[in-house]
Amino acid sequence: MPMVVIASSLTRWLTPTPTSGLGERSVSVSGSTVREVLESLFALYPQLRTYVTDERGALRHHVVAFVDGTAVQDKATLSEPVSVNGEIYLFQALSGG
Amino acid sequence: MSNRLLVSTKKGLFSVERESTGWRVSRVSFLAENVTLAHVDPHDGGWFVALNLGHFGVKLKYSPDAGATWEERAAPAYPEGAQVITGDGKPPAPATLKLIWALESGGADQPGRLWAGTAPGGLFRSDDGGKSWELVRSLWDRPERTQWFGGGADLPAIHSLCRDPRDSKTLRLAISSGGVWITEDDGASWQLGGEGIFAEYMPPEHKFNPNIQDVHMMTQCRTAPDYLWAQHHNGIFRSADGGRKWDVVSNAVPSVFGFGVAVHPHDPKTAWFVPAVKDERRVPVDGKVVVSRTRDGGNTFDVLRNGLPQEHAYDLVYRHALAVDETGDRVAFGSTTGGLWVSEDQGDSWSAIPARLPPVHAVTFCS
Repeated sequence: MPMVVIASSLTRWLTPTPTSGLGERSVSVSGSTVREVLESLFALYPQLRTYVTDERGALRHHVVAFVDGTAVQDKATLSEPVSVNGEIYLFQALSGG
Repeated sequence: MSNRLLVSTKKGLFSVERESTGWRVSRVSFLAENVTLAHVDPHDGGWFVALNLGHFGVKLKYSPDAGATWEERAAPAYPEGAQVITGDGKPPAPATLKLIWALESGGADQPGRLWAGTAPGGLFRSDDGGKSWELVRSLWDRPERTQWFGGGADLPAIHSLCRDPRDSKTLRLAISSGGVWITEDDGASWQLGGEGIFAEYMPPEHKFNPNIQDVHMMTQCRTAPDYLWAQHHNGIFRSADGGRKWDVVSNAVPSVFGFGVAVHPHDPKTAWFVPAVKDERRVPVDGKVVVSRTRDGGNTFDVLRNGLPQEHAYDLVYRHALAVDETGDRVAFGSTTGGLWVSEDQGDSWSAIPARLPPVHAVTFCS
């Protein structure tokens, strides 16, 4: 199954209040497209959905997904294929002060 | 009497409690996260907290036990196809949630009811305590909405929600910049209020147009809810008929510009404001932080400064960052430079909380 690597800035929101120190997390989930893999991930961690995708279901503007080292180009449809042994890295920009 | 303040800041939610030695921070939740608003359910005391996490979007959390534990709640979501169309020439764009800017509980006869005012201008309703939301189409689909526009923000936003304590089906709201709207049938239909509110800066033909008024904040008197006060971009206004007709209050000193307004819960003629110079100079007059208070419906004002910084102080107070408790004796406000002051004598004297807080978005009294 494909593996999703969730950045630490996202894993901290797996709880209702942010938990620091969890580090990144790797999860094997099913799916043959980015959309399918993410849906499997959200089935496992429902609270992650609104952090990764917006209310239209697209990848959030500042969230990026790399599939085997290449950034997903179509963030709206997320239809790009993921191989059985594919790796998806999920992370995002951080800003503020 | 309220012994606790919820202070929503750019870097966390601070619970500030009245102790024997004064007001002190007793708990911090969501430290380093942007907490934009807190709302206390008047029926069970639960806390709703809105966050704007920037890259991760807008979130809503709920605590049933005064911040000891937290639960996820859904944030309102604009439906597919909803478009933001504004009256200031910006191109139409898909509507997505930018900010939860107002939260109000329903009446005791509406269990689970929660209203949310948002940017870009949508009102949402929940009947399950914020677990799911529905866009209030009856207001969103009004043709007048396409003439609303943003004030300081890019897009219009609902910041004030006043449920009538006498009749849960009556809700009055204010929009920046979209005037005052009233429903008396639980949101099935809406009337545009705000007659008499004016904006000197608009073209003459729009000066009194109630649909484009930039009300900064609207607050009702809890025990006399036909009496409302508004801090408007152009000045201060008051209404005695539930928001339909308004009179300008031009005597406020040292200025009529500001964002917040708090109204005494039992005396509709008593209200508090924290003035700034004017719209293009958003700093206290002469670098002195003061609160202006009227006790006679706006005919005269006291300038209250006892305990407030009076030398090179440049604190600005946002619209939700001035509040009065249910007795009318305790008043508090927080500033963009992290100041937090509380009065226990209706503003005659003030104490600074011993903390250097992040910029304050909102203060909320709770028991």
